Amino acid sequence: MEGPIRRILIYVDGTEEAITAAQYAVCLAKSTGADLHALYVINTRALNDLVKARIFLDSEEEEYHHDLESDAERYLKHVDKLSSRKGVTAALEKRSGTVHQEIKKYAEEIDADVLLIGELSHVRSRRDEFYHETERAMRLVHCSVLMVKDEERVWDLYDALPE
Amino acid sequence: MALVDLVKPEIIKVPLESKSKQAVIRELLQVLVDAGKLNDFDAAYDALLAREAKGSTGLEAGIAVPHAKTDTVSTLTLAIGIAPEGIDFRALDGNPSNLFFLMLAPPNQSGPHIEALSEIARITQSKTFCKMLLRAQSPEEVAELLTEED
Repeated sequence: MEGPIRRILIYVDGTEEAITAAQYAVCLAKSTGADLHALYVINTRALNDLVKARIFLDSEEEEYHHDLESDAERYLKHVDKLSSRKGVTAALEKRSGTVHQEIKKYAEEIDADVLLIGELSHVRSRRDEFYHETERAMRLVHCSVLMVKDEERVWDLYDALPE
Repeated sequence: MALVDLVKPEIIKVPLESKSKQAVIRELLQVLVDAGKLNDFDAAYDALLAREAKGSTGLEAGIAVPHAKTDTVSTLTLAIGIAPEGIDFRALDGNPSNLFFLMLAPPNQSGPHIEALSEIARITQSKTFCKMLLRAQSPEEVAELLTEED
């Protein structure tokens, strides 16, 4: 019998909060038998904005794009390690574009049942609400969203998971 | 990391005392040293000047965003300075610069660096908001404007 969660999408942006969310995603995938998908988005929209605003030179855009490509490889590889250590296979996906739009698109493509995101910092600015990519994705995706909190508890859960 | 997480009164200087490009960079780096955010002043200064040598980060409308990747910081580091009188920063439009957002990022944090710079680009698009920042009389007032605490 299929449960309510068949496909889990975890958005990885390299923050500690996203890594905690990835650990929780592994726990959830292991206990539900759901497929696990990990996504990293290279924020080319921000890079283009910085060139348009003339904050970045063209050479900087190339340099930072290369950095973000490396980040994508590194962070997705880390999720792969976290999941395979616990006997869970994760499908790894790297996209480029506007972060929240790419998350939405990919969630639809894989027909995700739930999107897991890392804990967001406390909103102390109304301005911040408008621009936080993960928060925008949370509002935009078609599926349910689970924000993972309590790093220590998640770490214990992940640690206790059989290999 | 959102820009708002980096904004604290201790990393803001109002008004700046410097009169030249090099001096304003040094003044803002000293703000970071005093705030305990930077240890290697000289290396950070060199990294910023190397970036400026490729092209001025003095933009239009009085905004300047000197920035560099450097391992002199372990996390994204921001200093803000306001010069109501304006400083010649060799800006693209040839006008003096008034609002300075100096950002240092470790080489392994390009993602947060890009996002924070992008936020600066967005918030400084509002001329009204920039005018409000220019009228601020204290670091606390600048921090309050930027964070818009409820």
